[in-house]
Amino acid sequence: MSNEGQAPDLAGDRGFRSVRESAYKYALAGCAVLSVLTTVSIIGVLVLDAAEFFAEVPVLAFLTGTTFSPNLEPVSFGVLPLVLGTILITIGAGALALPTGVLTAIYLSEYASDRTRSILKPMLEVLAGVPTVVYGYFAIVYVTPALNAAITGLNGVFGTGFDELGLFNGLSASIVVGIMIIPMVSSISEDAMSSVPDSLRQAGYGLGATKFNVSLTIVVPAAVSGIASSFILAISRAIGETMAVVLAAGSQPPDMPPVQQAFGIPYVAPTDVLGLFTESSATMTVAMVNIAQGDISGGSTAYQSLFAIGLTLFVITLAMNVVSDLVASRYREVYE
Amino acid sequence: MATTSPTETEFGEVSRIKGIVFKYVSFAASIVGILALGVLLAYVFWDALGLASAGTGWYLAYTGTLLVPLLAFFAYARTRPAVVAGTFELFSMTLAGVLLTGAGVIILSIIASPGVWFAYFLTVVGPIVGLYVYGQYDREATWVGLAMLGVVLLGPVVGTLGLGPLTTVGSLLGSPGIYFLSLVVPAAAVAAYLSAERLDFSRRRSLGIGVGLPVLAIAAVPLVDTVPAISRSVWLIGLVLLGLPAGFAVANTARTRERWPAFAFPAIVVLGFLAGEAVVTAIGATPPTPWLDWQYVTSGPSQTAAEAGLYPAIIGSIFLIVLVSVFTFVFGVGAAIYLEEYAPGSGPLAAVTRIIKVNISNLAGVPSVVYGLLGLGIFVNIESQVGPFTYAGFGVGTVLTAAMTLSLLILPIVIISAQEAIRSVPDSLRQASYGMGATRWQTIRNVVLPRSLPGILTGTILALGRAIGETAPLIMVGAATTKFSPPSGLFGKLTAMPMQIFAWAFEPSDEFRYGVVAAGVVTLLVVMLTMNSVAILVRNKYQQEAN
Repeated sequence: MSNEGQAPDLAGDRGFRSVRESAYKYALAGCAVLSVLTTVSIIGVLVLDAAEFFAEVPVLAFLTGTTFSPNLEPVSFGVLPLVLGTILITIGAGALALPTGVLTAIYLSEYASDRTRSILKPMLEVLAGVPTVVYGYFAIVYVTPALNAAITGLNGVFGTGFDELGLFNGLSASIVVGIMIIPMVSSISEDAMSSVPDSLRQAGYGLGATKFNVSLTIVVPAAVSGIASSFILAISRAIGETMAVVLAAGSQPPDMPPVQQAFGIPYVAPTDVLGLFTESSATMTVAMVNIAQGDISGGSTAYQSLFAIGLTLFVITLAMNVVSDLVASRYREVYE
Repeated sequence: MATTSPTETEFGEVSRIKGIVFKYVSFAASIVGILALGVLLAYVFWDALGLASAGTGWYLAYTGTLLVPLLAFFAYARTRPAVVAGTFELFSMTLAGVLLTGAGVIILSIIASPGVWFAYFLTVVGPIVGLYVYGQYDREATWVGLAMLGVVLLGPVVGTLGLGPLTTVGSLLGSPGIYFLSLVVPAAAVAAYLSAERLDFSRRRSLGIGVGLPVLAIAAVPLVDTVPAISRSVWLIGLVLLGLPAGFAVANTARTRERWPAFAFPAIVVLGFLAGEAVVTAIGATPPTPWLDWQYVTSGPSQTAAEAGLYPAIIGSIFLIVLVSVFTFVFGVGAAIYLEEYAPGSGPLAAVTRIIKVNISNLAGVPSVVYGLLGLGIFVNIESQVGPFTYAGFGVGTVLTAAMTLSLLILPIVIISAQEAIRSVPDSLRQASYGMGATRWQTIRNVVLPRSLPGILTGTILALGRAIGETAPLIMVGAATTKFSPPSGLFGKLTAMPMQIFAWAFEPSDEFRYGVVAAGVVTLLVVMLTMNSVAILVRNKYQQEAN
């Protein structure tokens, strides 16, 4: 304000000063409280509507049901196929992003020159900045046809007889979600690796280790909790990812694969799981978008199932974020 | 890191192949995502701009007139920091001016009608700007801060009470008259002040600028009237919001001799484009047939691909960005200041602070679709009555509902980045301020905020870039995927660019898939990348100044 630069008027506007000081303080505290209110209302909205849903549909039927058809008679609200779809997309995305992200982090932290790093890091961040609906568009318009061309080519050369992908499929959705979460893995892992003290590396070199040995046997183990926390965060992001999956994976939840028995132990054949990637594979988020877009009336069971699925998603991602926080705080204690 | 050990090469037993292979594998991994995105972007730009249909002559012409001169200019400027700085200033101030003009037209004439703007200008904006300028002029006046506080509290009340009569006065002036009085005249004062204080112009020249701006505003009206696309109101808003920053950049560049070559950049762009057009016409080369053209950004969606456009969605997105930036900036920065500067760090309440901080970082990880449910729950569906006041939400898919939902979504990100920026202000500066007898708020306002503002801005702009691409929360709150007219006000229904892309992406015909949608994607990406690059430029400028 404009009363600096004058002789301090210690007696004069004291009262005004202290009133103004506390007014600002409480106004700012109000802003901070907004975040708490947001959390409370998220939980309140989800729990209240989900409670009405669970009054209609038993919790057990929701959690263990194997068909999800909220609109077609007979309606059923089993969340398992949606969870299976989510797991499929997440595994696919993770299989692409986790190794790529860790290798990227090792390169950026151990091998790259300052100049290379200053170019690569912002370029990687662009990956996460592209709107997810654009990734979905890329998947259906460019990635799926390219994959199909590749499969046809492989079949022609090796006669392997792979199935062509459907118009909507889990594979291209996984690929674009994977590309999207690479920067998350790489930047958090790189932070963890950069904060490994240099003395550890020097000790390694002193023992005659090569750079390769130092990177893999000293830096990576020392940063393992940071890497783990980046994995968890990235997977949680993949679980919550919506638009890319809505466009690329279609709206049909995957069929539950048959469960076989070997020596009395139930198992699912890996080929059955792999086959699911070629088909439409709706996730929990996709089901939510579909329900929200359909003509549902507020208060119907289908409408309330929106909040039940939302609650499931919220609990899963929240749990993963908390775990990642705990893991990360452990490594912070070691090196500070 | 560190030094490469010479033992690597001297002992024969150590195999280097494994290490070298690993190095290149990890390098390949770090560019695989970038390459994938690069290829996809190349495809989508190729499709959107219809480059496949252009003839070789067209490419050659523009390479000769535009690309080669630009590359030559960049090569020349690379080693001259003054030229780079000048080019950057010219470019970024003009860009900022274009964005400001867009936001200005929307806020001043669509969200608030000219009459309403005039009422609040007279009671709130005008007095505050006047007081601020007076406070800068007479630094001894102690009552200015108090008076500003009074205007902030009383002005809106007076403005709202007197809305009727003031709007009548405004309607007498007409909307061009309103903008002349409320924008051009103050801008003339600001221009005169800036040219005298910042650019060290002589008194006569700055006075001339102050008088010249209103004269120009009036004198150009006959010319403006001949252009059907620009109304008198838009001309006046544009003159102030685009002309002022661009003019300042030009004057500032012209002031330093070493920066003069920077003027070559706009000259090359304009002349190169004109020359390219002339050459293409002369040799009769086939131009490309872009999907993304003027018709596309000025018309609504349509059944036929050739007539389809993105206009309502673009306007809807601008509405969202303007509102979301206001909400999140105020509340996000406020919360960050409280958590970093006021919140108790020790004692029994420290646990509460810690819980709030953990809570905010957890909120940042909640999927956007869940925020959509939150918006659906509290902005669309809740009806409650407290005494005489009924709260019935903000309506299904309205501008306000969508903006509030997106604001809540990016608020945690804004708070976290603002906290980091505030934390990076050295404590010694605060201590020095307290030592001078400043109160906590004075310290924050005069020491902490100016130092952390660039960091706060960077974080906010990046978060806004994320908000502009969000689709799922908008679907959840019932925003339309296809709308044929832009929203008319805060309670009008809206669509946004990603929503329209989502709706079109399911169209089976190739014209839509590879043409119309690609053009929409390019528009969205251009807006986003512009915002992100502004954020990065702010950050870089700040880092240079900090060094």
